[in-house]
Amino acid sequence: MADIHYTNVRIFDGGGEAPFMGEVLVQGDRISRVVKSGQGMRAAPIVGAQVVDGAGAFLMPGMVEAHTHFSWNDQPSLDAIQRMPPEEHILWCAEVAKRYLDMGWTSCVGAAAAKPRLDVVIRNAIEDGTIVGPRYLAASQEITVPGGLGDTTQPHLPQSDFAFGAIVSGAEEMRRCVRMFVKYGVDSLKINLSGESITGMPSDRCQFTDVEIATCVEEAKAWGKRVAAHARSCNSIKRCVKHGIEVIYHASFTDEETLDLLEQHKMEHFIAPGLAWLINTCHHASEWGLTPEVTKKMGYHRELEAAVETMKGLRRRGVRILPGGDYGFAWTPHGTNAKDLEYFVKIVGMSTMEALLSATAWGGPMMKRGKEIGYIREGCLADILLVDGDPLADISILQDKARILSVMKGGEFHRAPPLRQARTMTRWAA
Amino acid sequence: MATSDNSTLFTNVRILDGTGAMPYSGSVLVQGNRIRTVGRSTAALSPTGATVIDGAGATLMPGMCEAHTHFSWNDSATLAGIQTMPLEEHVLWCAKIAKKYLEAGWTSCVGAACAKPRLDVVTRNAINSGQIPGPRYLAASQEITVPGGLGDETLPHLPFPEFSFGVNVNSADEMRKAVRMFLKYGVDSIKLNLSGDNFTQDSPAETTWMSDAEVAAAMDEVRVRGKRGTSHARSAASVKQSLRHGIDVIYHASYSDSESLDMLEAAKDRIFVAPGIAIILAMLYEAEPWGITHAKAVQMGYMREWEAAQESLRAMHKRGVRILPGGDYGFAMTPHCQNARDLEFFVKYLGFTPMEAIRSATLYGGQIMMKPDELGVIKDGYLADLLLVDGDPLANLSILRDPKRILAVMKDGVFAKSPEIAAQRRWERAA
Repeated sequence: MADIHYTNVRIFDGGGEAPFMGEVLVQGDRISRVVKSGQGMRAAPIVGAQVVDGAGAFLMPGMVEAHTHFSWNDQPSLDAIQRMPPEEHILWCAEVAKRYLDMGWTSCVGAAAAKPRLDVVIRNAIEDGTIVGPRYLAASQEITVPGGLGDTTQPHLPQSDFAFGAIVSGAEEMRRCVRMFVKYGVDSLKINLSGESITGMPSDRCQFTDVEIATCVEEAKAWGKRVAAHARSCNSIKRCVKHGIEVIYHASFTDEETLDLLEQHKMEHFIAPGLAWLINTCHHASEWGLTPEVTKKMGYHRELEAAVETMKGLRRRGVRILPGGDYGFAWTPHGTNAKDLEYFVKIVGMSTMEALLSATAWGGPMMKRGKEIGYIREGCLADILLVDGDPLADISILQDKARILSVMKGGEFHRAPPLRQARTMTRWAA
Repeated sequence: MATSDNSTLFTNVRILDGTGAMPYSGSVLVQGNRIRTVGRSTAALSPTGATVIDGAGATLMPGMCEAHTHFSWNDSATLAGIQTMPLEEHVLWCAKIAKKYLEAGWTSCVGAACAKPRLDVVTRNAINSGQIPGPRYLAASQEITVPGGLGDETLPHLPFPEFSFGVNVNSADEMRKAVRMFLKYGVDSIKLNLSGDNFTQDSPAETTWMSDAEVAAAMDEVRVRGKRGTSHARSAASVKQSLRHGIDVIYHASYSDSESLDMLEAAKDRIFVAPGIAIILAMLYEAEPWGITHAKAVQMGYMREWEAAQESLRAMHKRGVRILPGGDYGFAMTPHCQNARDLEFFVKYLGFTPMEAIRSATLYGGQIMMKPDELGVIKDGYLADLLLVDGDPLANLSILRDPKRILAVMKDGVFAKSPEIAAQRRWERAA
């Protein structure tokens, strides 16, 4: 692949400072040079590098989605996701993986898959070039208990093939389950610690015994894997801290004690609230029978209020809050994930700078890649977006594919910037 | 970057129309998914808003049809190596291969069997819905076989059907059930293994072991749903069995006798033969890296089969039986997308003229795809499946397997492989 020399770009480097005009040189899969340019200076040409003159466009690190479900298939229920046959499901995942990269998400953290191997196979297929997609950490299915969130079996259809999640009861079943997913090659185990109001078990309830949770974490750690939890209730969040579960999804309900606890352990956890799910379930799901009256009864309005207060509190305390979460339902379609950044600004009260950092600088450690990802700095992996406009002035432009002029992952253009003369009428063959 | 009105004009091309007629200079206008006008003159048609492709004398020919395709064969050296690929990986493999066939110029493929029950159906559906790129495709069932026959890969101590490459049936009733299952899944054809194969030494090519009652039950169900029967039939007896039961597509047909040749000739307007001779040649001469020396291949019976196959297929060709390219690409020794070698083999070994070889991939391709009046030739109103080829395939058929010489591939009026444009060679990009 040719080296790429971005000139005349406004660089947001992921460090939190105001963007500056400059140039970026990409050699191989990494950023090899970042130069600030003075006013009126012209870029020195570099032999053999393809020049991309950004004409002042905004250059930023590729974004990291912290809570991704490629296998959710834009359907209105867990059952409708689960019923997709495995052959169709894997093709769906491949299609969606590409869509994420199209939209500027160059890394995604799998948060659970709908069938045992979907995430692992997609990650491997991306890595070996069979399909196109972001860097990816593969998750297990949701591990749950009989009757808990993710148990979609019915009394007369108890076969495990009908279940959305992997259902365990007791420490030994938990251990077997974790080992199975580790054998399949997951990067993380997903455990459903709290309920979810739409499934019948309310969000502020807890499932699982401490012994079961401890077994899950112990076994995962033995294999060097990460644990991520669906934890909406206050108690389930505390259990995440207690058991050392690194990734806390949702974290809606808190009290002062929980907030303080998270603050004390803030560099040990990542929070990805998935606010889009709450907001859209409350206000934009009537088409699927979930009118505001219905979702109010379910408790979602109360939860949304609580979650916003929690996020405000966590933000004040410097806990890392990351974008992404539960896109892939009918009312939160895949590809619209950058809405999360807008919610962070408009509802949680983040500055646009904080919102951008949540998708970049915090994405590196979330991807277990430290500072290799999420920065425009020498030596970092060349995951780079070129954006038409200024996300610091209007964070919502990151939702618009047309404004994301190009997407580079690992030094290669997934979407190349538009050519100056692409509209020529005559093509010449031979 | 198609223009908004979605029409394309090929000018300055040498049109090899696929009917067997000699090529002529002209231009072709494509509108929507069909060929609107074929101009038989060097004067270009009026472009009126179309994207103009100046072919600079390149050959424009119909997209080719592969008559015996196994997307799910994964370039492995054994059936077990294909069978043990997990389901999820297998689907992604099929998707990847489908795209490669299309870009290599095979705009239509006839599925000849898949390695797991739904692979072909799912791939076809994903192509048709636009989810993945790929050729027009007719989806096949798995190979249906008998215990111990070609495709039964179960082991005595591991008798589970999941371990089997094909579906094993052992009576007319079991056959009916298996066929109904595949028809429920949505296949376009049912594949029956009527003869053995030298690849599997316990059921060699000249053995024929399915009962007439079993084959009749299968074809009965096939007819009920208006689908097609196809057969793996290397032995003369299996070819005759295919013809007796109304199977339309006969794969291999290596061995013959005068009776089978007469029967084939009598049915020549109905049947297609896709011999897949590449695998025989590869086993004889190119399989040493996978442990099959020439001596071993001879001992396995491949030389005897090769001699018989040349004689049988030459005789069929003389009698006007339609012989089509394709077959058993997807093994380690016959990797996918070398399929156009078949055309060279037809000329070299079976007495075809180059024009007849082209016709076997084009005119006959439209017929085996069940679209004889709208696919396979360059003619007004036909579906716009077209290849732009650098050079003259009639002078050198091997250019059809050189990706650099396939300048462009169009399927259904849309480029699957676009001709290079001058601007793509520019160094500078501007955002």
